Amino acid sequence: MSAQKTAKEDKHRELKLSMEVFFSNKSAVAGLVIFLFYFFDAIILQFFPQVMPFKHPYSLTPNYVNPIPLPPSKKFPFGTTYPGVNLLTAIIKSIRLDFWLSLAVVVPGAFLGVIIGIVATYFGGLVDEVLMRITDIVFSIPYLVLAIAIGYVLGRTLDSMMIALILVWWPLYARYARSVTLEVKEITFIEAARAAGSSKMKIMFRHILPNSLPPVFVQMSLDLGTIMLTISALAFIGFLPAANLPELGYLTSLGYNYVETAPWAMIIPGMFIVLFALAVNLMGDGFRDVIDPRRRSAL
Amino acid sequence: MIIAARKLTKYFEIKGVKNAFIRAVDDVDIEIKEGEIVGLVGESGSGKSTLGRLLIRLIDPTSGEILYNIPDDELEEYDIALENNDEKAAKKIADKYSITRLKGEDLRRFRRNVGIVFQDPYSSLDPRWKIEDIIAEPIIETKAMKPEEAKKRVEELLDEVELPREFKNRFPHELSGGQRQRVALARGIATFPKLVILDEPTSALDVSVQAEILELLRSLRKKYNMAMLFITHNISVVSYMSDRIFVMYAGKIMEKGYKNDVIKDPQHPYTIALISAVPQIKRTMQRIILKGDPPNLLNLPKGCRFHPRCPVALPVCGWTANELKPTLEFLIETKYFTEFPNVSIEIKGERELIVNNADPEKLRQVVNAEKENARVLLSIKEIASNGNSSIIRLHEYKTPKLYKLSNSREVYCLLFDPTIKERFKQP
Repeated sequence: MSAQKTAKEDKHRELKLSMEVFFSNKSAVAGLVIFLFYFFDAIILQFFPQVMPFKHPYSLTPNYVNPIPLPPSKKFPFGTTYPGVNLLTAIIKSIRLDFWLSLAVVVPGAFLGVIIGIVATYFGGLVDEVLMRITDIVFSIPYLVLAIAIGYVLGRTLDSMMIALILVWWPLYARYARSVTLEVKEITFIEAARAAGSSKMKIMFRHILPNSLPPVFVQMSLDLGTIMLTISALAFIGFLPAANLPELGYLTSLGYNYVETAPWAMIIPGMFIVLFALAVNLMGDGFRDVIDPRRRSAL
Repeated sequence: MIIAARKLTKYFEIKGVKNAFIRAVDDVDIEIKEGEIVGLVGESGSGKSTLGRLLIRLIDPTSGEILYNIPDDELEEYDIALENNDEKAAKKIADKYSITRLKGEDLRRFRRNVGIVFQDPYSSLDPRWKIEDIIAEPIIETKAMKPEEAKKRVEELLDEVELPREFKNRFPHELSGGQRQRVALARGIATFPKLVILDEPTSALDVSVQAEILELLRSLRKKYNMAMLFITHNISVVSYMSDRIFVMYAGKIMEKGYKNDVIKDPQHPYTIALISAVPQIKRTMQRIILKGDPPNLLNLPKGCRFHPRCPVALPVCGWTANELKPTLEFLIETKYFTEFPNVSIEIKGERELIVNNADPEKLRQVVNAEKENARVLLSIKEIASNGNSSIIRLHEYKTPKLYKLSNSREVYCLLFDPTIKERFKQP
């Protein structure tokens, strides 16, 4: 009984240690806080839009009576952008789309990439050679060009944008998973599993996969920011299905024509893109510390 | 015999290089009786771990046969068949007991009968698995028991290796090195195996923990009556643990015999040197320090692979012109350089050298004077004159085999070859 308690306590202690490592990194905590703001914004708008005082939570509300951007004031804390869009509410609305799109690209991309990377490494030889060469080929395609091409084929929808990005994002994870797997598969416990009679599938998915996932998670958190930048870039060059879709890159492009007379119209939405990228990067660094045994034992 | 291997060979291919092989295990015969502890000693890189892994099919042999659970008389029949090149008879026996061609379900069933404990308890346990799952893995994967029974068995095993039962819910990183090795041991014996390979199970532990683990191993052997192959480079541990000892060097068995015979009365020059290096209490050690390094397994010496380092190597132990040339060059260019101006040495084949611009008589004098310091010079059969230069011819070498000294004792050394002994009697 008491020993069971200690086992639980041990688990607890591990978690506590992880938290300690993470929270000792001040910038990572700052990143986490900012990330949580974005996260809750996305959650609330997605699932409880009625909480917010918006008439149209999923589209921009233009004001053609006064379309010229107005500077920040009491009524419009972030000012307005063309055509008379309140930037504060527009940004709150935009974050939802950007956040879910980033997740929708990173998660399947990472899933596909990790599976391909692990299969390639564990089987080795010809399988490895073929899979990694395919990875190289896909890796060499510029993603913006591919996204535009797919947009022409499948139509300019959010889905086609997502598909295009997933298609080019997995090679990164395939390579990453391969490098981690190469390391894990040489550790003796894999040999022990073979001596125990485990099948290749079991070894791959029950031994190698769990051991190569933590670094992949770190990579995913870092990638969230990059993907949001990419999506914004696509929206900025006009790759959006509808003209009043709230999206940060699109908001930035709306203020583009007024950059000399109303710089806030471009700077403020742009800042929110950069802020998210920065936050997830800082947070990812914190997670990397958590899985790094040297950092753990230093505390 | 619980397991016997005949002509077991493992060559590792080198990627990207054609016809280059690392000869990790080369034509090895080994046999382990039921319930017997066999010690396998040798230095790093001698192929002892590879041999252990081969025996339980963790790696596949390049050639050779591994026979599992073969009665002694049939093994004898098999040996006779091999000697007479009677392939038909050999195949008939091999088909019955061989495990070299097992696959799928059969291989899995065989895995029930064998276990392995690795050297490093820190890397041999999956850090993301609970102790319970680690120990139960071989039971469940080989379908030795049902999952519910496996749980019970795990508790039994934890008792067996003297760990508290509550440890089953822990993760490996919560355990100390000795505790981890006990877990690894529990996993190794989980399926009641008849043979356990212990691959240096104590060398990663500190001395007090080592002693505990060794005691535990002995008590487990008594209880389960399993055979063990104890792989180590630590002679004292082997002499404490094992019934018989195999000494391995560069992929070959050098000597085998009962523990007391090998330790107290080593016969092979390598074993003698090895045992002379064991620290002793209240006695002055007479260490024999071997020169040089273990050979490159890619390019092994001819004849006996120990001859370049052997302090009593004979002229026929496997010397070749390639080995003689550097020694001669060294002597001619340093100590005797005044006597041999403008000398160059050419290799003319495996057993022939030409020394240009050298007088055979002078060469003979040098060789005679330096014989004591460099055993390679012993291999010179004759020095003939050929105009301006001399031709050096070497003795033809002979490759040794395991010579039987007694029923239980075999030594891989030409010193025990009756035909050779006559010709090169040592003073």
